[in-house]
Amino acid sequence: MNRRNASRLAACVAGITCVCAQSTVAPSNEPTQDPNGDNVSNYSIRQSFEAGYRWDTTGGDFGMYQSTVNYTNGLRLLASSLDVQSRDGHGGLFDQIVLNTQGLGNDPYQFASLHIEKNRLYRYDLTWRSIAYVNPAATVSFGEHAMDTTRHLQDQDLTLFPQSSVRFFLGYSRNTQSGPALTTQQLFDANGNEFPLFANIRREQNEYRLGGEVRFAGFRLNILHAWQDFKEDTPTDGTPLPQGNNPNSLTTLTSFQRSAPYHGTSPYWRGALFREGRFGQKRFWTMNALATYVAGQRGFVQDEFASGTNRIGALTQLQVATFGNAQRPAFTGNLTFSLFPATWITLTNQSSVYNIRMVGDSYYTQFTNGSQGAQILPFTYLGIRTVANSTDAEMRLRPWFSVHAGYDYSTRLISSVEGGSEVGVPFSALTAQQTNQLHTGVLGFRLKPIASLTIRLDGELGRADHPIYPVSEGNFQAFRGRIEYKHRSLRLSAYGRSDYNINSVSLSSFASHARQYGADASWAGNKWFSIDASYAKQHLYTLGGIDYFANRAEVTGESSLYISNIHTATLAARFNFKDKADLSVGYSHVQDVGDGRATPIGPGTLTVSFPTFQYQGPYTSQPAFAAAQTFPLKFLSPMARISIRVSNRVRWNAGYQYYGYAEDFSALQNYRAHTGYSSLAWSF
Amino acid sequence: MRVRYSGAMRFLGCARRTYACAPLWLGVALLAQGVWAADYVGSNVCRNCHPDIWSQFYRNPHYKSIASGKETAENTGCEGCHGPGKDHIESGGDRDAIVGFAELAPDQVLNACLRCHVQTISRANIRRSEHTEQDVVCTNCHSVHSSKAPRFLLAKKQTELCYSCHTSVRAQFSMPFKHRVNEGAVQCTDCHNPHGGFAATWRMAQRPQMMERAGGNEEPCLKCHIDKRGPFVFEHAAVRIDGCETCHNPHGSTNAKLLKRPVVFTVCLECHNGAGTFGRRNNGIPTQDATHNMADPRYQNCTTCHVRIHGSNADSYFLR
Repeated sequence: MNRRNASRLAACVAGITCVCAQSTVAPSNEPTQDPNGDNVSNYSIRQSFEAGYRWDTTGGDFGMYQSTVNYTNGLRLLASSLDVQSRDGHGGLFDQIVLNTQGLGNDPYQFASLHIEKNRLYRYDLTWRSIAYVNPAATVSFGEHAMDTTRHLQDQDLTLFPQSSVRFFLGYSRNTQSGPALTTQQLFDANGNEFPLFANIRREQNEYRLGGEVRFAGFRLNILHAWQDFKEDTPTDGTPLPQGNNPNSLTTLTSFQRSAPYHGTSPYWRGALFREGRFGQKRFWTMNALATYVAGQRGFVQDEFASGTNRIGALTQLQVATFGNAQRPAFTGNLTFSLFPATWITLTNQSSVYNIRMVGDSYYTQFTNGSQGAQILPFTYLGIRTVANSTDAEMRLRPWFSVHAGYDYSTRLISSVEGGSEVGVPFSALTAQQTNQLHTGVLGFRLKPIASLTIRLDGELGRADHPIYPVSEGNFQAFRGRIEYKHRSLRLSAYGRSDYNINSVSLSSFASHARQYGADASWAGNKWFSIDASYAKQHLYTLGGIDYFANRAEVTGESSLYISNIHTATLAARFNFKDKADLSVGYSHVQDVGDGRATPIGPGTLTVSFPTFQYQGPYTSQPAFAAAQTFPLKFLSPMARISIRVSNRVRWNAGYQYYGYAEDFSALQNYRAHTGYSSLAWSF
Repeated sequence: MRVRYSGAMRFLGCARRTYACAPLWLGVALLAQGVWAADYVGSNVCRNCHPDIWSQFYRNPHYKSIASGKETAENTGCEGCHGPGKDHIESGGDRDAIVGFAELAPDQVLNACLRCHVQTISRANIRRSEHTEQDVVCTNCHSVHSSKAPRFLLAKKQTELCYSCHTSVRAQFSMPFKHRVNEGAVQCTDCHNPHGGFAATWRMAQRPQMMERAGGNEEPCLKCHIDKRGPFVFEHAAVRIDGCETCHNPHGSTNAKLLKRPVVFTVCLECHNGAGTFGRRNNGIPTQDATHNMADPRYQNCTTCHVRIHGSNADSYFLR
């Protein structure tokens, strides 16, 4: 085989009209636009709209439906597009406008993008999103951290003189989150009670950017300065008065109010320098450097008042006042040098540095029943400095065979100071410092025995001498393999991957073993039929040493075993009936079979051998842990959509999608939902 | 460039490029620089045989080169990418007499596109990117003449392009809890740079790869999750040292809040076990104290009390 054929095939595949991923049933994909558009003055205009009614009926836990799907009833502008193009490239104020929207009119996921450009003069891009985020998360904090919020995100970028050697950038981004939520507060002492509280989330971040890029002497220099302001003013109160989580506790709450404004700025600089040079006709080198500096700072005040009864039933008033500030300056740098001494070899060396310091102080004053306790000034410092360097080589030894190899060295220094003082008392602190060095090596090859077949295999081996967390990468190894066959409109592929990570220490151990397998196939051989199917299995097997207290007795030597086996399958097919109608059907099925247990608790204490290459010891677990360590569930979603061409510019669409969510061990969060829509899509 | 000397090469019995012919190609190419400058015929000639492409070409971002009227022949219109067309026309449309991108090797495609699209900050690492090393180059994702996407001349919708190779990721986005990629609210490029990113600095081993980043060279998660950024007086060190992936699966999960475990306390206790030399003080990650009775379900929901688990300004145990 030769590389020309390989590239030809790749281009063919890129052109396949694939049905691919299981997406939502609406908006429709079928086009209504006249590809030529309409000419108005010196512009050509194409536009299309799809408007319709979306409906849903749900049974079971509506909160979980909102968390995972969240489509509701109502009229929607499901999608629209506007494309205005200057026909000679010499428009008046603009040469191009491209506007696309999705889900406007109260869909939970709304999106709009606008692009306006005047050749050589300016380019303007706007992206706007509104994302409803609902999460009851019953498995987290008893569902008492539920939220029903909306995020609005927008990014605006204006580039002046986009095609010249001197360019200027202006940008603005805004990100807000607002809506009701629940939080919890533990009162009035360590043995008190936890109360769910109402919080009205109000978060806002604005970022302003100004920068420029200039080309000189073969270099390209890009400088950007940005001002980022963040503020959060989320009030929390205890109205209506909540019950505590512990019904046997005498701790009760009669009033609660908290105000905690949190404002600050994170101005940053970013500088980048690029250069590409040649030595000879086909040999060249590239050099890229990037450096950023962020000076993050936040100031805060927190005032909290609670009254009720404490754990012995006595009336209690608690007021906590806190103020202070936190800083986190960070410097990062990248330097990449690539050498292409011949067409068959690429050599790359990358160096990076990361230096971040977190410093903060927080004046803490507590009043209990009107009497002031000591004013405490805690102080923390956390410094992280990471330096890394990697070298890798990609060698295309034959058109059908290439090898890549690489080595990476990282060293990290973590400095920590934790301390504080009461006002008027000398400062005391615990200081610590540790380093971690990580060596990794990668070796792999790519084989193309025939033009349409690609086989890739590679492995990675890593050794860290001092991982900071038990779950961090310690001694790890990974193997990846992939085989892919592409011929015209047929594509078949299969892959496998395994990742082992072992952290062994004297008292405990953590080992994880993850494997992924999968296969997929797609075919779009003719105009009237295309199909796509995939299957994937993700297997995770982890064992971690744990230490905890049960009834005031410390339990040591236990282990936490987590086994997850997730099967995912998707199928999608599309039929076209003589350009009159399109039928799309799809099915998505996700099933976690857990560790195969039929009941959550299981037989009590379990003993299992952990079959990894280092740890062979027994595993024992308390029933409470066994219950928590598997969570078998099913999530499935079949769908069908029909789109009928009424005229060249009008289509009628209708679709149905079912969602079913079922947890095997509890029916509390299960739901089933029937959703659908009907719409008209037209262009004019 | 290729067409300038393709006739000469055929004459020399070397119609197809091979490595053995490379020195010959090089010599002819250098000779050709000045000799065949007049072989450019202009885009108006091309449209006679390719009216379908020409009639829509004003919509193509590459039309700018024609509209400006200031570009040199080798940098404008059809011949800006496909090379001089004289041989192609005189031969009656011989496909071998013009640069056809479907015929080019991946590195030739890349070189052809980068003649103009050379490094911007987002493409600064394209030549050594993981995609390029796997022979995934411009024309694998972009379709210059038959794009199906409104922007960037993408051959298909972005998610479909990415899923067609990254099938394991596609499975992750099918999970009940996921970022809303299939719903169209989030795109792969919000977090990843398909042209190759600078090496990640926030973790060891310069990983993960091909990441987009938040403004200050930080994890892309912070582009949207603004409240988790801090700085906080009391940082949960794991967030800063090993990143969000310590506890979360960013693509999708069967667990609420994209957690790595179905229940919170197992996420916490796998680190907070006091073992070994882990932790910022080299003496193990602190264990809970005796007031925590893990036999009581109240205490199995760590974040019910430790509500500010990503970082707090008021309490070193993240209680408020």
